[in-house]
Amino acid sequence: MKQFLNDRLPFDGVMAHLRKPLPKHINLLFSLGSLAMFLLLLQAATGAFLALSYTPSPDHAYNAVKYISAEVPFGKFVRGLHHWGASAMVVIVFLHLLRVVLYGSYKAPRELTWVFGVLLLLVTLGFGFTGYLLPWDEKAYWATKVGVEISGKAPILGEWVAKILRGGAEVGAVTLSRFYALHTIWLPWMAFALVGIHLFLVRYYGSSGTPNNTAEEMHSGKPFFPDQVFEDVVGMLIFFVVLACAALFAPVPLEDVADPTNADYDPRPEWYFLFLFQLLKYFQGPFEILGTFVIPTVGMLLLLFLPFLDRSERKVLWKRPIAMTVTSVCVIAIVGLTILGATAPKLETQEETQPADEVQQVTPTDTGPEDTDEEEDVFDFQLTEEEIESAKEVGEEAQ
Amino acid sequence: MSNNGRRSFLQIATAFIGGLISLAAGIPLIGFAISPAWKKEETQWVDLGFVDNLKNSRFKKVNYAFTAQDGWVKATKKRSVYVTDLGNGEWSVFSRTCSHLGCLVRWEESENSFLCPCHGAVFDKDGAVVAGPPPKPLQKLEVKVDNGLLFVREA
Repeated sequence: MKQFLNDRLPFDGVMAHLRKPLPKHINLLFSLGSLAMFLLLLQAATGAFLALSYTPSPDHAYNAVKYISAEVPFGKFVRGLHHWGASAMVVIVFLHLLRVVLYGSYKAPRELTWVFGVLLLLVTLGFGFTGYLLPWDEKAYWATKVGVEISGKAPILGEWVAKILRGGAEVGAVTLSRFYALHTIWLPWMAFALVGIHLFLVRYYGSSGTPNNTAEEMHSGKPFFPDQVFEDVVGMLIFFVVLACAALFAPVPLEDVADPTNADYDPRPEWYFLFLFQLLKYFQGPFEILGTFVIPTVGMLLLLFLPFLDRSERKVLWKRPIAMTVTSVCVIAIVGLTILGATAPKLETQEETQPADEVQQVTPTDTGPEDTDEEEDVFDFQLTEEEIESAKEVGEEAQ
Repeated sequence: MSNNGRRSFLQIATAFIGGLISLAAGIPLIGFAISPAWKKEETQWVDLGFVDNLKNSRFKKVNYAFTAQDGWVKATKKRSVYVTDLGNGEWSVFSRTCSHLGCLVRWEESENSFLCPCHGAVFDKDGAVVAGPPPKPLQKLEVKVDNGLLFVREA
């Protein structure tokens, strides 16, 4: 078999390349990239199977997710893996990025490796943003509504961007369809293309090693295959066990079905967008655009072009005081804002305790089936076509 | 023509044909994706019920629904507003959608204000911004009374 492959493909050449020694002192932090790729593959696999029982339509999405969790064999487990895997992926990608910053691994000649890595971070966040609309519950609806409105705050093209994302004036059937297509087709294609380029560049330039590696140590460590690959695989196994435990024992939240009139709901995004949500509270009136557009955009551009801004060759931490200060401030700000956002008290108003019969409900005759549960408890004021016609006739007679 | 000249021509021609195919396919594809950006929004009058039922209302919460086209779906859209009877046939109807990022505001009688649960926005009883991030006041909907019914204009 090996001979068969070798006659047709550069099998030995590839293996020789993979067996090249890594720099010395490679530690566990160098497994974060492999772990991120493993999580991407796990998300792709679990997502592909979840899609077998899902329909991206407001009438069916919520029930489909309920059906997956309650009735499909292993559905709860697969959904749990996908849900907790998404959070894990954000954490691992962020830690991987942090390792690269701390070790100065983005410096020449690895600038493009960094740029494609940051693009992968954006795609990862894109997966998160488009993914949590799909269950069509309260969190899905409101977090998406707020998130899309944020994009609408960008100057000049903002409103266009928001309309393109929503597929119309508001979050609805077209939005769900678009987000599903982005989540399951567009972003995976982008992710695998970017991962391909990123991996090619990583292999082409080789590992950057630790900041303290001498020139001799750069090619005298353990081989990538099988030594490093084995360590990576053990890390993947440990992570999979943790995720499997989370999927089995930590319930994946599914709130009530999305209701655009539910003002008692306090919209909050997933935890990895909480820092941005919290940031918006600090910019008022004409300065609002700082929180919604300027800071996130400038921050992302600075991150993207970091290797071209920090051109020094120094990699050792204590010889890069500016880079380390900026990194520390950013990490503290992101973690701090996330904690503040997560612990912010919810708004309590008298209205929440207002008796339901003080709320007037007006519904058309063809209101969707999701309305029926609540209508039994409230003063149901429903005008039929006949009543409207009758009212018109009364009015005409009076004239 | 020399070999170099011929190869230069082939390179340019290949790039030209590739560009032509990309444009011919790309323009309709991009247009397909971004078409919602220039789609005109349709408005319609939606009734909130009989005026008699809303008389003397002060920031009365009214949830209503109407049917509108959402892409290929004839969808039921749900809305929530605060209705106030100003007397002399005048009505004030505030949209509950916060002008910041679209969360639903709540009327707080004790503070005589609208409060937003998302980013702490506060609007006074006339919808003007008192505190928080919103750059614009709360939207006041256009209203009319027709045949004893109170209507609002919906986008």
